This record gives sequence, C-alpha cells and structure tokens, in this order.
Amino acid sequence: MTTGNLRDLYQQVILERYKKPKFRGVTAPVHRHQRGHNPSCGDTIELTVQLDGTGDRIEEVRFEGEGCAIAMASADLMAEAMRGKTTAEALDMVQRFQTMMQGKAEFSTEHRKLNVMQGVSQFPVRIKCATLTWHTLKAALEASTQPTEFVSNE
Amino acid sequence: MTIIQEKTLSARTRPDFPILNQTIHGQPLVYLDNAATSQKPIAVLEALRQYYEHDNANVHRGVHTLSSRATDAYEGARDQVAAFVKAASRQEIVFTRNASEAINLVAYSWALSTLKPGDEIVLSVMEHHSNLVPWQMMAQRTGAVLQHVELTETEEFDFEQFKSLLSEKTKLVAVVHVSNTLGCINPVKEICVEAHKVGARVLIDACQSVPHMAIDVQELDCDWLVASGHKMCAPTGIGFLYGKLDLLRSQPPFMGGGEMIADVFLDHSTYADLPHKFEAGTPAIGEAIALGAAVEYLSKIGMDQIHAYEEDLTRYLFRQLATIPELRIYGPKPNADGSGRAALASFTAGGVHPHDLSTILDQAGVAIRAGHHCTQPLHRYLKAQSTARASLYFYNTREEIDVFVAALKDAIEFFGGLFG
Repeated sequence: MTTGNLRDLYQQVILERYKKPKFRGVTAPVHRHQRGHNPSCGDTIELTVQLDGTGDRIEEVRFEGEGCAIAMASADLMAEAMRGKTTAEALDMVQRFQTMMQGKAEFSTEHRKLNVMQGVSQFPVRIKCATLTWHTLKAALEASTQPTEFVSNE
Repeated sequence: MTIIQEKTLSARTRPDFPILNQTIHGQPLVYLDNAATSQKPIAVLEALRQYYEHDNANVHRGVHTLSSRATDAYEGARDQVAAFVKAASRQEIVFTRNASEAINLVAYSWALSTLKPGDEIVLSVMEHHSNLVPWQMMAQRTGAVLQHVELTETEEFDFEQFKSLLSEKTKLVAVVHVSNTLGCINPVKEICVEAHKVGARVLIDACQSVPHMAIDVQELDCDWLVASGHKMCAPTGIGFLYGKLDLLRSQPPFMGGGEMIADVFLDHSTYADLPHKFEAGTPAIGEAIALGAAVEYLSKIGMDQIHAYEEDLTRYLFRQLATIPELRIYGPKPNADGSGRAALASFTAGGVHPHDLSTILDQAGVAIRAGHHCTQPLHRYLKAQSTARASLYFYNTREEIDVFVAALKDAIEFFGGLFG
C-alpha cells in the first residue's frame, strides 16, 4: 500500500525523531516563549528559546506540544539546526524552510538534515503541519522579551 | 438485516453518485467522510441544472413566467422540507445558508430579545462549535449563564445530570440530536419533555440525524430544529430552521433587507409574514430547489430503510474495528443489531496521530476526517488532542469498510514498532 510518495513523506529520520525527539522540553533559562496553534487540527506547540549574553544568538530551542509525526519531527529538527544561530540567520532559515515547502529550495550541506522534510511539499495539506514550529519560532524571535499571544499558522 | 438487503440498497444507489466512481492515487475511492458532507446524487445535480437552464429568475417578484416558475419551485422545496420533518405548517420552515445560520437566527432574534442576566442556557459538552459559539456570544451580551451537560461512563449524554441542571432559571436547552464525534443518539424527545416542564425552550441541532433517520418535529415537540442541506445530499449553501409557528411569529426579524418586508417607508418598515420575515435578501434559490430534490430522493429510498441499512453497516464496522486492538473508539458501542448509535466511528490508534493516519489512508483511496471535527471542547473533555473519524452513508458498502479497515491496519503497521 505504501507508495514511494509516502516513503518520501515519512522518511526514517522523521519517524525516529517523532518517536525519540532530542529537543523536547523547556530551556533554562527561558528568554523567549511562544505558543503556536494549528486551528484546523488542534495541534499545539510551545517553544522556548535560550539566548546567549548578547541576546542575539540562540543557545538552545526546545519544544513541547502535541502533533502529528510531521509537526513533531519538524520541531525537533528545527531545534537542532538552530543551535548557535544568530536571530538574523534563524529568520533566514525560517524563510528558506517555507520556500522548501513550496518545492523551490533546499538547505545547503550544513543543514542538509532539514532536507528530509522536502517530501512534505508533495502533500500540500500537510505543509501546515511542518511549518507550524517555524512560524512559531519566527514569532518568538521577533517578539520582545515578553511572550506574545498565540501565533496561528492560518 | 440480511446481506441481500444491504447489497440491494448500496448497489441500487451507487450509480446515482458518479463522484464515487473514481480512483484516488490509483485506488478506488472509499468516501467515509459523510458526517462532514455527503455526496450529491444525479437527481440533485439535475435539479440545479434544470433550474438554471430553464427556470432561473428571482423569486417573489415580477409576474413573468420564469419568476413564477422559480417561485413555485422554491416554495415547493419548502413544502417538501416541511413534509420531510413533519412540520405542522410550511410557514414553520425557514431557509438559511446552513445550520449555523439557523442557530444564529434563533440567537439574535429570540435569545437577544428574551434572555436576562442570570437566565440559564443548558448546552452539552459534545456540541459542535456552531451550537456553542452563538450561545457564548448571547451569554456575553445578555448576562445569561451557560451550563453544560457532561457525559456518562459510556460517553453518552448524561440525562440525570441534565435533569439536575434544569430549574425555573433555565430558558433554553440547545443540544445536538446525534453527536458528530461520539455518534451517540441523544434522547431529544425526553429532553424536550423535561425542559418544557420548567418552561425552557429547546433547540435541536439535527445535522447528523435528519440525513439518516426519520424525523418528526411534532412528535419530538422541539421548539426549533436546525439542519444543513449538504449533509443530506443537497448542495452547500442551504440549510433550514424549523420553529413552532407561534414562537417564530413572536420573534423579531434576524436580518433586514429585501424579501422580508411587507411595507417599507423611509423611516420604518413592516415585515412580511412567516417564513419570509426571516429570509432577507435574494435566497439561495437553486440550492433550496436542489434541497427539495434531495429530500425527494431520500424519501423515495425511505428514511427507515436508510436507517436500518446504516445500522447494519454500523454493526459490521464495529465488528471489523474490534479486530484492531490499538484502537480507542469514542462514544457508545452499538447494540448487537447495530442500533443505538450513528454509523460513524471516531477513534485514535495507539500513538499514530490522526493526520498521519488520514494521509496514509488517503494513499489507499480512503477518505476519512482527522482533527477535532469542530468539537474542540469535547476533545478536551475526552483528553484527546484530535481523533480520526470514519462516517458512513447509505451508499457505502461492507466491502468499503473492509478496504478501510485493511488500510487502517497497514497504517498502524507502517508506524509499527514506534509505539509498541
């Protein structure tokens, strides 16, 4: 039953990250905090970000929440890729990820792990699942130190 | 029910639904999302076509032939709907865009002009958002208080708790007849009896019952009943409100505009008689006529036959689902003969997220719903983030249930080992 498309969507890495995420939890301390919500399915994600002394470089991103394999794996892979990134670099990556979801770009060698998410672009109704965490990170980084309201990807 | 009868009904009706005859990702379509919207038979599509090819004109105005034909067809559809739900009068049927609009009509017309601070509105935790949000808005505006009936251990409407909530403060009970998520069939007739004892009005959300069983509003003795056309073989954009004549008469208009007036002056107006008082603006004429055709189509099959056939499918569905130990199915179990609940099953499958399930099933041609089914509070109550739902109609077959169950097993296996 499982076609090639499905194998592209649910690559082993995605299933593994879904099963055993590396970045679940809450950072200590919390410098940025943002909740994201996908109203169409009820999935939620809660990101916390720890910044370095300059306040412009990400030390760590962690996530909590409930969601499908695509949403959770995307969050875990994103958290890993964000370590040590400046805010500007991180926002560029958010943009690149969104472009990748349109099937128009991929990540270079340094972040090639994120390219396992490319298969999602073949499933337009699932793109929101993959991008929820990225929208949420963008809102977290663009917000002031005060956490803002829910961000929705609708 | 015998297998012979089952084959007869689906085999007889499937040719009426050309959309079912297609492949999805190379597999025959198995459409099991009927609680979201049903498919439309040729008779309904033809009614739309006939109207636009031959009779299209605005209604209730003009004396030319087309306008007369359009008006006759539109009002004829009202007669059909009135007869379908056994309304005492055709004036008790108001066409709306959908059930949500019908509920909002009652909210803005009746509730806003009637409710006082401290009055109580009794809802249930299983309500669709469309039967929650309008009442939240009314509570905010009038100072009325919302109360919610919870579930029994078998995940059904807690009738005893419901009775305990009723008092002279209760002014409205608004409950769903058949839950789109739990599939339970609520005792709406008894609910009306109890609510009326304390002088409360009752609104029934019948979106999931009118398409599947015979409804008699006079026997139920409800004050209002709402349904949407698109779940009962009609197009989108048309639904209806049933309301008791005296009650509708006493209610102020909902929206103002053309069609709903008797006499208009620059500074005031008088309003049309029922049901037009509640139908401002040019209505969805073609859609209403097509709803009439849908009602005629369903009536020809017979609602009792549809219901009996669906009970048989329910029995089979639950028997097959019982072969998957990972499943948690919400709502009551059917009786041994398949009766006692709707022909749908909302479930979770171990740790496999409903969206992932739905994507994998779609690759097998099987269309199911995944998400919160517009019952977020119920999902919170059940402590389920989201569920998957397969919902059947009279054109579905046992063979389709087999395909669905096999695909479900495959999907669980695909994620296999992950959660074992």
